[in-house]
Amino acid sequence: MKEGLTLVQRLSAHPDSRCWFVSWSPTGTLLASCGGDKAIRIWGREGDSWVCKSVLQDGHQRTVRKVAWSPCGNYLASASFDATTSIWKKKDDDFESLTVLEGHENEVKCVAWAPSGNLLATCSRDKSVWVWEVDEEDEYECVTVINSHTQDVKHVVWHPTQELLASASYDNNICIYKEDDDDWECRATLQGHTSTVWGLTFDAAGQRLASCSDDRTVKIWKDYSNESGQGDLSWKCICTLSGFHGRTVYDVAWCGLTGAMATACGDDSVRVFKEDEASDPDQPVFSLSAQVSKAHSQDVNCVAWNPKEVGLLASCGDDGEIAIWRFQSED
Amino acid sequence: MCFCVFFLQVGYQTFISQCSLNGDGLVAVLRLLRLCFCRMIIFYIHVVRVLRLCRNAATRRENMADLRPRSHNNKRSRQRVCSLTGGVLQLTDLDDFITPSQECVKPVKVEKKQGKSVAKIQIEDDGSYVQVNQDGGKQKLEKAKITLNDCLACSGCITSAESVLITQQSHEELFKVLRNNKDNATEQKVVVVSVSPQSRASLAASYDLSSSEAGRRLTSFFKGLGVHHVFDTSYSRTFSLLESQREFVERFQRKEQDSKCLPMLTSACPGWICYAEKTHGEFVLPYISTTRSPQQMMGSLVKGYYAEQQGISPRQIYHVAVMPCFDKKLEASRSDFYLETAETREVDCVITSGEVQKMLEEKNVSLNDVEPAPLDTMFSSVSGDDFLNHAGSGSGGYLHHVFTYAAKQLFGEEVKELTYKTLRNKDFQEVTLEKDGKVLLCFASTYGFRNIQNLVQKLKRGKSPYDFVEVMACPSGCLNGGGQVKPRPGQNPKELLQKVEALYKSERPLSPEDDAQVAELYQIWLGSVGEERARELLHTQYHTVEKMTNGLAMKW
Repeated sequence: MKEGLTLVQRLSAHPDSRCWFVSWSPTGTLLASCGGDKAIRIWGREGDSWVCKSVLQDGHQRTVRKVAWSPCGNYLASASFDATTSIWKKKDDDFESLTVLEGHENEVKCVAWAPSGNLLATCSRDKSVWVWEVDEEDEYECVTVINSHTQDVKHVVWHPTQELLASASYDNNICIYKEDDDDWECRATLQGHTSTVWGLTFDAAGQRLASCSDDRTVKIWKDYSNESGQGDLSWKCICTLSGFHGRTVYDVAWCGLTGAMATACGDDSVRVFKEDEASDPDQPVFSLSAQVSKAHSQDVNCVAWNPKEVGLLASCGDDGEIAIWRFQSED
Repeated sequence: MCFCVFFLQVGYQTFISQCSLNGDGLVAVLRLLRLCFCRMIIFYIHVVRVLRLCRNAATRRENMADLRPRSHNNKRSRQRVCSLTGGVLQLTDLDDFITPSQECVKPVKVEKKQGKSVAKIQIEDDGSYVQVNQDGGKQKLEKAKITLNDCLACSGCITSAESVLITQQSHEELFKVLRNNKDNATEQKVVVVSVSPQSRASLAASYDLSSSEAGRRLTSFFKGLGVHHVFDTSYSRTFSLLESQREFVERFQRKEQDSKCLPMLTSACPGWICYAEKTHGEFVLPYISTTRSPQQMMGSLVKGYYAEQQGISPRQIYHVAVMPCFDKKLEASRSDFYLETAETREVDCVITSGEVQKMLEEKNVSLNDVEPAPLDTMFSSVSGDDFLNHAGSGSGGYLHHVFTYAAKQLFGEEVKELTYKTLRNKDFQEVTLEKDGKVLLCFASTYGFRNIQNLVQKLKRGKSPYDFVEVMACPSGCLNGGGQVKPRPGQNPKELLQKVEALYKSERPLSPEDDAQVAELYQIWLGSVGEERARELLHTQYHTVEKMTNGLAMKW
């Protein structure tokens, strides 16, 4: 098989606007996208092609920045520039608005569900990260508000197995949070990037964290905390991928099935990196496995690996389009 | 343009010298030339004006782009403003980002003088600005000042001037007034300091003293600096508690008619009030108790009752409050607490416990070395040499007192001890009064931003089960206020807080209803001024802060 990225389909998701984010449902059958046209679109497969199954309009007054599926796949959360986060419940093929989480002072930049499904994290330009809890009656309550960053918080992501939260910010830092006593605190601040950190992703086991930044690099961090879990955590940067990207790297996604890492870049291209088999796990070497230079006609905003289907990658960009790719690796 | 004029002139002169026209013809031609010349000058002036306007507009547009949300290194913000479509520049998605208030809600008032609006402004060597009028006369221009008072109304100006201005109300100001008193025999001010029990406990913890001992030594320290009286805000808190009790019962009794009277939310915390006014406005304000906080009750007492008694104008009193947080400075600056006729604030300056610590350090004094002084009993809750306190939480005990009073007044139940149930976290507690399986009263205390969020959201959805909530902005309440003395290097903050709490609770509690001194004052002072005036002295009001979130409404 030839190694590389081949285009499966290009979808005009958000015409006359930009597509900000794409997210696969946990079963891998649905793809949610959101954009500057204030709408969320759900795409499903019909035969060999992807079609738009539903459009969630009127949920927000401004751009929808991110969408996230709950681990059970029945709920969809959307973060918008109108300072609210909407929770949608899946009813057969359609979605209905369940509740709207308010509280942030300005644009909500990201929303993420914890793997347990009970907790939700949102972050905003108001420099805070909020953690919400869901109870049995689908009531959402604020658990805590953490102000560890000194600037706009761009992205939040949960650890795949532990109740650990990571956030990336315009202040060039990454903060890791853990619950202590009855409040959440920042247990580690990862410094290393020289510009805004735009995206974060954990590897399948949760031992490593990849971050991408405006400084055109992707950094891999590893957890070297002592076993007890008490006191501050220690994460160190074990690898930096530089020289590959021509512009800001807006998103990074680590495939849970294959370990391949895809990046979305401001130079309109999508790249896939693979870890060299022989490299030391404490000093990994990543090499560029595939690249599509003109994946989109403008900045690529997001990349997402399908959680069930090996090699299926979705990307979206400022051109308002979603591109579905198949990544074939040399094996 | 100048060259054209120059050449015209040269041409004109050559023409004249070469001209062989007769007199009349020459005059006609000259007239024509003069007309053209004048028209060109006027045209030139207009063109220059338009060019200047364009240039200014361009700089303003650039500046506006700078004021945009901080994604500067993201070319998106610029893309968002204009897109080049088919050669035409279009403004797109301008309102997609929520911009902070770009216009100061309280612009500085400028006196408009009649006459020509053109004047020159010169910057002198010392940095002051001088306006040079057309007739040559110079006028020194005043610096535009924004006070803390003005900033309270603003919904979030970009420079966060509130935090900058909070530092203007500091112990430096107190030192200045005391110095003035010493130097100036004519304009003497009566300096009164009101110390809160939480600040006293914090300083006591810092110097390993008992709370009353710290209070006695603070009295001595302040008096040594020239302060005339040192009072205790537990005394004025008695008024707050009594008024809160009465207000709750009155609200409870009309809950069927008014949907917005319960739950009653306490008003003693200025951080909570500022947040409520700015973020939730009209929705939540009707629920908030109108009872004044202990600090402002003391303001009424000192500048109202005391001033009258002494026969002096409130302006002659400099009232300082020692408080556990910085938000109290904002509270003191509220326009509702400004006495219009006397032209003075009820509380002139608020200093935090940490600032008192700084004062002691600046004067090279340790509280341990100061000789204790007898306590001023006029506006203090004392018994002999010891301070008296109130039962309940370290933030004033509002829940405790309103609960016990309401249980007695409304249901005839004597509550000896309250059982607190911790809900989501230790800053969210609940107390209920049950009889025969029925819940008669449901009270809660919510401290900290996250719990306040949940409280307000529940209120908005109409799902709040409470009749009364003690709301405090700081986690763990006032004893953990932002202005309390910080832990020493190596000292565990949690341990310090526990120490402060223990010292606070060690003072003997006195029930507000049993306070004879307060009862007397109610009769002789508040009883005598009439109901309306008494209401003014004991209660206050709140105002929604209007937000300007539309960047397009910015005035150029």
